[in-house]
Amino acid sequence: MASGSNSARRVASLMRPSRLDPGVCRSCQESLGRRSYASAATAPTGVASSTAPVSTPSSAIEPVYTINAGVVLSRPPQITRDLEPFEKAFFFYQKRLNERLALPFTKYFYFKRGTPADVDWKNKIKERRTPARDVGNYNAYDNDAWNDELLLGAKESEPEHMVEALVHDAETTANATSQDTSKKEEIPRPFSRVTEADKKGDQRSLNRLLSRTLYLLVQSKEGYWKFPSMPIEKEETLREAAERTLAQTAGVNMNTWMVGFHPAGHHVYTNRKPHVDQVTGAVTHGEKTFFMKTRIMAGQADLSSSAEKLKDFKWLSKDEISKYVLPQYYSHIKNMLADR
Amino acid sequence: MAVRESSRHLARSVPRAFVPCNRTPAFLGRRNASDEAPSRRLSDQLDELETASSLSATVPEDVAKSFDPVARSKGRKSQLPRSRYQFRSPKYDRGPLHPHQPPPPSDPSSRLFVPGPFSLPRAQQTYNATVASDILTLCYVHTPPGFKAPVKAPRLREWDESSPYHKNRPLRGPRGGDVLRLLRKPIKFNNIPEIERITIHSYVKGAAQENSGWLHVAGMAVQAISNVRVETSKSRASVATWSIAPGRDTVAVKAEMYGETMYHFLSKLVDVVLPRIKDWPGVKGSSGDSSGNITFGLEPEQVALFPEIEVNYDMYPPKMIPGCHITLHTTGKSDKDARLLLSAMGVPFYGKIVH
Repeated sequence: MASGSNSARRVASLMRPSRLDPGVCRSCQESLGRRSYASAATAPTGVASSTAPVSTPSSAIEPVYTINAGVVLSRPPQITRDLEPFEKAFFFYQKRLNERLALPFTKYFYFKRGTPADVDWKNKIKERRTPARDVGNYNAYDNDAWNDELLLGAKESEPEHMVEALVHDAETTANATSQDTSKKEEIPRPFSRVTEADKKGDQRSLNRLLSRTLYLLVQSKEGYWKFPSMPIEKEETLREAAERTLAQTAGVNMNTWMVGFHPAGHHVYTNRKPHVDQVTGAVTHGEKTFFMKTRIMAGQADLSSSAEKLKDFKWLSKDEISKYVLPQYYSHIKNMLADR
Repeated sequence: MAVRESSRHLARSVPRAFVPCNRTPAFLGRRNASDEAPSRRLSDQLDELETASSLSATVPEDVAKSFDPVARSKGRKSQLPRSRYQFRSPKYDRGPLHPHQPPPPSDPSSRLFVPGPFSLPRAQQTYNATVASDILTLCYVHTPPGFKAPVKAPRLREWDESSPYHKNRPLRGPRGGDVLRLLRKPIKFNNIPEIERITIHSYVKGAAQENSGWLHVAGMAVQAISNVRVETSKSRASVATWSIAPGRDTVAVKAEMYGETMYHFLSKLVDVVLPRIKDWPGVKGSSGDSSGNITFGLEPEQVALFPEIEVNYDMYPPKMIPGCHITLHTTGKSDKDARLLLSAMGVPFYGKIVH
């Protein structure tokens, strides 16, 4: 029923004399034509007079562009970003301020008297002087509590130092409270923030630059780096074309999610001289590429079956992309790429 | 005159950075005649400023090594009196005309100062780097050039003036119910829905029926999982079977989280607690107050899964850990927007989704 009324509306819009700019696409023309009766009744006088002269001469002169569907395939950041030196210093300073201003730690709410955990706690607090494990050796209730600022070159505000302190604390607790004294407990450290691929400089790996967004770039057979893109075929929506582009250029061995149905950016390339097709004689002045935003969940790109004979692919962050692509291309795409 | 003309011409052709500026590069803004007085000449004040940032300055190693503030203060023969170095904010604010003014709350010496933030939460970074831009792309609505949105009827209707008593009456509510829904604007870069605050609310049945111990335990538990001080509230309804009367019994505790605390709580909830609940289908798809706030409840045994309660579970009296309602307040204007945001942040929904 819905489709019936829709198609009736489409027929009606085709029957209606076009008052619109031919630069507006078909679906947009439909939504422009779809207006309430009240506004339709008032509109024609003004609109017709203003747009009619524009629409008449255009069809022959208007330059013809190839419409491409591009895919911005990205891997979101996997870990948090590295903190700035100022942020590290600021957060650490706030932690020590908090130590000074907070009420004292209520030990008996957390440790029952006489348990091994209580004994372990007593040993630790003697050594550390504060219940917090990541503020260094500092007692906020001491006479020297005013001395809460770090000296030059102190390591206490570094996140690695804090992680090491927490792990060390957990290990000593596990060793002190366990029944079996012969073997030592090992608490697993967090994985390194720098991966093998980072060390090797392997730009084809998805495991590099974990704290940045990575984008898939492919190298065309002429040697230019770009996002995967292919011309839209007839009777195909932009989203369908983008899905086909992804499958035909980077293979099907990827689990991806296309964000929405609208492009996130576009790139217009105008040829110096219009191209004339040898067979059909059609003239094209350049190409317009509309980029669909896509996320990769699993898998890896595979160019072996690519239709365009692409040479190579890379997973690059935003700053690296600017070194590979042409400056004019970068100026078009840079605003749709995430900074991090 | 000619010289001035040529210099202006030159200024236009040379890049801006090289053009000499004939204004003093001192403070912008107003200049008073009294500024020229020798006591407050600007150039003197500028001389006191350090030219380089202290972060970039390099200190000779022997100076850095030998600097020991504790030893220096111990080495002093006579200590300064406290009043010379420790400022104490006045206890009461006695109005703007009083000579002793308290410092602003952002000053650590203020009595109202709350330290923080202490970290940059992971959930917040995920939202900023990934979720926000995806929501913006998903919610984009294309309006072709020349499109004019059809004019909607006013939300509040006028009276039709058929009666003389319609004069000066307040406007009528919307047709089909008297609820005036929030106005939802198209989502642009500046109104992407985000999580505004999270509220934990717990009605403690035992507080009215038995003793206040229930309320104390509930307060401690909610405070432990939320990291903020709880507020208590009194009953407003009169239910004889629950033995509550309006304003008589303190029956509920509530904690409200904002900012960093809120994001830490959300990551704990989504990554630690919710995955460990057995046979939990998710948040019901029909929950929500139709203006972008989603509520769900946790049973007492589910609240006990929070790591802060787990570390000293034995210290809570048995069977007194409360259940609670958790409300996720978002800036989205409809439940649909809120669910889009929350499901992106990792909150699962089940059943029929009602927007």
